[in-house]
Amino acid sequence: MKVLRLDRVSKDYVTEGSSVPALHDVSLEFRPGEFVALVGRSGCGKSTLLNLAGAMDFPTSGTVWLDDVSTSTLSDSALTRVRREKVGFIFQSFQLLPTLSVIENVELPLMLAGHAQSRAIANERLRWVEMEAYANRMPFQLSGGQMQRVAIARAIANSPSILLADEPTGNLDSATSEVILALLRRSADELGTIVLMATHSLEAIGKADTIVSLHDGRVESVNPTEKVTAKA
Amino acid sequence: MATFTLFYRLILRPLAKERMRTALTVLAVSLGVAAVLAIELAGQAAAGSFRSSLETLTGRSNLEVTSAGGIPPQVFARLATAPYPLKLHARMEDYGVIDGQVRRTVPIIGIDLLSEAVLESAGDAAAPRTSSQLSAGNSVWLTSSLGYKSGDRIRLLTNDTVSDFIVRGVVDNQAGEAIVMDLALATRVLRRGGRLDRVLIEAPATRSIEEWEATLRRYLPAGVTISRQGMQTEENQRMLEAFRWNLSVLSYVSLAVGAFLIYNTISVSVVRRRFEIGILRAVGTSRIAILAAILGEAGCLGALGGVVGVVLGRVLSEGAVKLVASTVASLYFSSRPAPISLTGDAALWGIVMGVGISLVSALGPAWEASRVSPVEAMARGRREYQARVHRLRSACWAIILALIAWIASRQDAIHGKPLYGYLCALLSIAAMALVIPMLVAGLAQITAGLVRRLFGVEALLATRGLVGSLRRTSVLVGALATAIAVLTAVGIMVGSFRETVLVWMQDVLQADLFLSPAVPAGADRHPTLSAEIPGQLARLPEVAAVDTLRAYEINYEGLPTTIGGVDARVRGRRRRQSFLSGAPAEKVFQDLIGNDAVLVSEPFANKHHIRAGDVLKLELGGTLGSFRVLDIFYDYSSERGLILMDRGTLLRYLPAEEPSNVAVYLKPGASLDEAQRAVERVIGGRRVAVTRNGTLRDQAIQVFDRTFAITYVLEALAVFVAVTGVGGALLALVIDRRREFGLLRFLGAADQQVRRIILFEAGLLGVLANIAGVTLGFILSLLLIHVINKQSFGWTIQFHWPVTVLLGALFTVYAATVLSALYPAKIAIGLVPIEVIHEE
Repeated sequence: MKVLRLDRVSKDYVTEGSSVPALHDVSLEFRPGEFVALVGRSGCGKSTLLNLAGAMDFPTSGTVWLDDVSTSTLSDSALTRVRREKVGFIFQSFQLLPTLSVIENVELPLMLAGHAQSRAIANERLRWVEMEAYANRMPFQLSGGQMQRVAIARAIANSPSILLADEPTGNLDSATSEVILALLRRSADELGTIVLMATHSLEAIGKADTIVSLHDGRVESVNPTEKVTAKA
Repeated sequence: MATFTLFYRLILRPLAKERMRTALTVLAVSLGVAAVLAIELAGQAAAGSFRSSLETLTGRSNLEVTSAGGIPPQVFARLATAPYPLKLHARMEDYGVIDGQVRRTVPIIGIDLLSEAVLESAGDAAAPRTSSQLSAGNSVWLTSSLGYKSGDRIRLLTNDTVSDFIVRGVVDNQAGEAIVMDLALATRVLRRGGRLDRVLIEAPATRSIEEWEATLRRYLPAGVTISRQGMQTEENQRMLEAFRWNLSVLSYVSLAVGAFLIYNTISVSVVRRRFEIGILRAVGTSRIAILAAILGEAGCLGALGGVVGVVLGRVLSEGAVKLVASTVASLYFSSRPAPISLTGDAALWGIVMGVGISLVSALGPAWEASRVSPVEAMARGRREYQARVHRLRSACWAIILALIAWIASRQDAIHGKPLYGYLCALLSIAAMALVIPMLVAGLAQITAGLVRRLFGVEALLATRGLVGSLRRTSVLVGALATAIAVLTAVGIMVGSFRETVLVWMQDVLQADLFLSPAVPAGADRHPTLSAEIPGQLARLPEVAAVDTLRAYEINYEGLPTTIGGVDARVRGRRRRQSFLSGAPAEKVFQDLIGNDAVLVSEPFANKHHIRAGDVLKLELGGTLGSFRVLDIFYDYSSERGLILMDRGTLLRYLPAEEPSNVAVYLKPGASLDEAQRAVERVIGGRRVAVTRNGTLRDQAIQVFDRTFAITYVLEALAVFVAVTGVGGALLALVIDRRREFGLLRFLGAADQQVRRIILFEAGLLGVLANIAGVTLGFILSLLLIHVINKQSFGWTIQFHWPVTVLLGALFTVYAATVLSALYPAKIAIGLVPIEVIHEE
């Protein structure tokens, strides 16, 4: 079963009248439980690919398939639903809301989706990232690693099929990064989530099943396994 | 040049980029400036009265002689025979109504046409040159602005009589509208019995005006006053002082609300640029330069707001002058507004006001910006800065200010102005502003669970968002609460006043029918009815009693007031007049009869510090009389004050046969319709307005409502400024929290959820502002009723909650506040999440 598929996807950005290509003719397929590292220089298209995969943006050409549904055909409200139900995001700078407590941050996507048992599920997710003891703390009372664990708990709150992580260890030391990467690995293994991680970190690349290397918006290589089929 | 370039890049360019927010801030300042300027211009124009226009018609007089009830002819004769080269101008002045297709109330001036030069400008070659010719055929001369030409006929209503006149010429006069007639004709038409209203004197420049005043006073009996010409206008201005002053203070509320918003804008600007300021400090910019740059930004906003405000103020003054003039006419004196004149000084004052209020408001944030330590600014970011709201310390200060406010409220007026009262109001507003952070945080904490359960995640996020930017939220709530407080306070005061007046009218307006001349009366105009009317009415079988009032204008201690002669016996029995002493009306009025005694109204007593038992010295009809004050009565008919004596007593000093008003009490069981018809038969062809009790009350309350219309306009303006500010500030909030909104989109928030968050924030702001505003408004209303009103106007007002009006107004403000969030919500929805999330 292919949960996420990119079919000849290109993305151009228009800046001051001229078109700047960010991705060019990219075709990739991912299966549940895959831990994929997107690598390449800054500006090579990693973040663009994550945004397209997370239904946050539309391709200029080609199709992004989420559970065999093209994101380009969906209305705005349907896209919102897709993001709520199928996608979780993790950011380099954690992006916790400073005015909400730890548990409230985790609960947030569940509440936005109108989930009835939001508090119980959020507690369970915090337990899963071993942060239940910090549930009532505010984000500024946490360390960077703790904040990122909370961000992971929030990203998996809705049990998404895809977890998109944009340089999740970029702001962390190596020991803390190790913990975060282990959590992402567990998400793929235990929850069957596709983890798509943009990274420059060698440790992070080492944890991945698949390494997709991008260069100037094109897929340069897909290594090392058959789990990912590169057609570009 | 380099400094200016940096100022442009760092301060002006960002302002230009956020056009909408800059425009809203400028609008807030400009509306504040406009309100103040419009009231000032309107006040000046409304006070530029009919009197001054009459004075321009008479040339170069420098002294005037007046007397309550008119100047006896022998006084004029004494002056005319004084051994000095004086030029005397005798005057009679009144109002009449031209009874044409459009009824116009026009000043009538009676002058000695033979000796005056006025007619020379009428361009009438065939102008009569003898006294008999001048009065023949009821000849009148009209000012050109009335639009009549020589030979036209007009019907003129004076007192209760209509007469026909021939226009014998047109006077080209800048002073406005007037009908000029010869003294002989005026004596007959205006029922002056030979007495003159004024004698204007042209004294040569061989002596000073003061010397002439002293010299000529020797030729005048007691009770006749000589003063510099224009003195009356000055007195009128002085009389208007309290009214204009209070109106000005109210107009400053919009400016104060604007100040809150400038403070907010500059605070936001400093918060946003904290990092930038840190860098500038690190590369060697001095603290003074930072302070100057931030104040420069405020100055630019203020200057722009000031310029727009001056233009807007001039436009608004057109409407304001009508409202102010209507109040002046009904409460103070007959006035025809002078043209509005926006002088260069006034315009400059408007701009200075805009800049000044902006600089003062920005001083706090600018000072903080200049204290920024480069390391701290770059390391800790703005969150720490925003969190620096000292709730407990602020609450302590609030208590101290409230205590000082309470002490201020107990102080007396200074020179008739309730300065301490306004200080108390200002301190109360400041105390409220200081307590708001605690209110916001406290309420948010208490209601967090409930809000979340009832209204869901959007409400939770909105609540936390407001608490998260407590400093800004507090300023916004403060601005809106100030406007609401003033709205509530003035609403309660006016509502209480209205209710008090209604109850008072119920007590004193006991008669069934009221008669008055059909010419419009004014606070200083008392046209009369024919003398035989009261007697004829009393003989009607339906009539139980007739009460008359003859009113005159007098001057007491340099302020105009009204004196009236009443039938004390009838009034004591028929009116439920309340006195400050609590004494029964019948006994008090009984004590008036046959004695040189008077009753004075509460405003008069307060204005002149009179108590029961005091003796008033009054100049009446060329005689100086002493009158004991028997008691002080509650009265809401005149702000100028009222002195009442028995008609018999008044007759000893002034002619009082012709009443100004008549009240008719019917016998029990008499038909009102039939009685009215009988009364109208008595009136015959005279022009007399017969008004039923209910109608008179309705008319009185209409005048009351019209009087306070200007306050509603000013309140609405303050609220508009506040709501506009809230809209602008929410827009800033959205821009500052765009990362948060972007993140919410990543987390699956839909458009309507983002919209609901912003609207809920606005709603919460509205609720908090309403709680703070209504609480403060209640306190301010007590201050207005018991301190400021009492010290300014001297009325006793019973407290009353105008629930419906208040709820309607508060709901409108609340709805406007929530609606003001629609545009910021649209901006929040339009944010591109990918862009905003990757900005950091």
